[in-house]
Amino acid sequence: MFKNEEMEINLGPQHPSTHGVLRVKLRLDGETITHCKPVIGYLHRGVEKICENQTFFQGQVWTDRMDYCSAVANNLGWAEANEKLFGITVPRRAQYIRTLLNEFNRLASHLIWLATHALDIGAMTVFLYAFREREDILDMNEAFCGSRLTTTAFRIGGLREDMPPGFEKMARKFLAKFPTCLEEYENLLSENRIWKKRTVGVAMLSAEDAIALGVTGPVLRAAGVPYDIRKAFPYAAYAEMDFEVPTQTAADTYARYLVRMAEMRQSARIIQQCLDGMPEGPVMAKIPKILKPEVNEVYHATEAPKGELGYYLVGEKGSTNPYRFHVRAPGFINLQSLPKMAEGGLIADIVAAIGTLDIVLGEIDR
Amino acid sequence: MNKFLRTLIPSDIAKGLAITGKHFCKVFFTANRRKVPFHIVSEYPEVVAKVQPRYRGRLTLLKDEQGEIKCVCCLACEKICPTQVITIEKGKKEGRKMPYPVRYDFEMERCIFCEFCVESCGFDSIILNHQFELATYNREDFSLGMEGLGQNMFEPSPVGKFSVADD
Repeated sequence: MFKNEEMEINLGPQHPSTHGVLRVKLRLDGETITHCKPVIGYLHRGVEKICENQTFFQGQVWTDRMDYCSAVANNLGWAEANEKLFGITVPRRAQYIRTLLNEFNRLASHLIWLATHALDIGAMTVFLYAFREREDILDMNEAFCGSRLTTTAFRIGGLREDMPPGFEKMARKFLAKFPTCLEEYENLLSENRIWKKRTVGVAMLSAEDAIALGVTGPVLRAAGVPYDIRKAFPYAAYAEMDFEVPTQTAADTYARYLVRMAEMRQSARIIQQCLDGMPEGPVMAKIPKILKPEVNEVYHATEAPKGELGYYLVGEKGSTNPYRFHVRAPGFINLQSLPKMAEGGLIADIVAAIGTLDIVLGEIDR
Repeated sequence: MNKFLRTLIPSDIAKGLAITGKHFCKVFFTANRRKVPFHIVSEYPEVVAKVQPRYRGRLTLLKDEQGEIKCVCCLACEKICPTQVITIEKGKKEGRKMPYPVRYDFEMERCIFCEFCVESCGFDSIILNHQFELATYNREDFSLGMEGLGQNMFEPSPVGKFSVADD
């Protein structure tokens, strides 16, 4: 009379908690997931190919539109990869400002992660509070770069302009109030029994699995591997900054939450050091009007808020366009750990697993 | 025993409620009493939104003091544009040494507001203004040029008038 069979359902692509247009094919046995397969490609625009048809100067605007929650981090990777290709040295003041903007961007990205992840799991208040603080960072983006999300913040060789008047005051005002806000979020979530029920022991990913799958960023650090490119291969002005790499060993969703919260504290520390130790000088190196590389290839990795963001550029002799451009997007690589996290768990927990990976589909599909 | 008590008395949830309560009281009891309200939201269409000085809005052609178009058709903006939205046709005008743009077409639909054109311009003849309300009802209104009454490159787009504030 009752048949015992598995059911196949789709999660997404228009599901509010898949953070974009991610479709996940699920096979369920009752409420347990037996098979999970993410399907991507709904937001594919061919950014890599577009960049190959444009000059090195023009390529930056497309990197804005990959991970739209952390456009500055994308711009930084692009600019530094190009500087590596052409052998340009960036002035020290520009390095500091880049670091400063990048860390603000990390805060904004982690805040939007906290907001949406909490909203998915059922904590509405944090969503509103986190967006309140993110708004200040976006205002600073607007004051510095002229745009809130698609920043186009840097230029090859430095920055377009120096800091606008009043920017430092805005930044210091934000830093003064930010620790209180972080405490507020932690009071709302860290001890909350509903939050802990939904996160502790959910979506486990051990260190071995994480390394085998190529997972980077906070997800890897929550498994106890202290790998951070800012420390391992310092770029911009990170070599001169004093900060720690927070790690946890529990490797579950709650541990990732703790790692990201601790990372926000460290980011605020780096910003403080940047503001205090800001050197004087020019912000733009002297670069030729037309950039033409010798045949050369570079890979430059940066620590984006989501993980290792790598840019692979091949230059062609006598051409102003890159011959090949490839992005190692952290979200794309991290997403392959989703089946490992979700299979064997409950269907209600897949929302937590997607949220804890902190994916942005614009970056995954590119 | 301790665990039992903690299950019985939801102190963690009370802690969270205290924070929301604090924020509620802060706004509720000071409503209409402070000169600068605690509100973090603004009543946008009614109250005009302010943008920062560097804001990148719509592309605008500039004229000099004599009312002459500053653009000299060097085509730098056309070349640098990542989405190729600018088309310029070179021409001559009597009594003017420099070339004169007969046509300056700008397809706002595809513009990504990166300001590379303004950066490349050596004659300061274009700027991105502070206009961000760029929605229109007709697709043709996105094609801007040097002619037309309300839809030309010299004045702000008239689309702002469709906002709720003018009803």
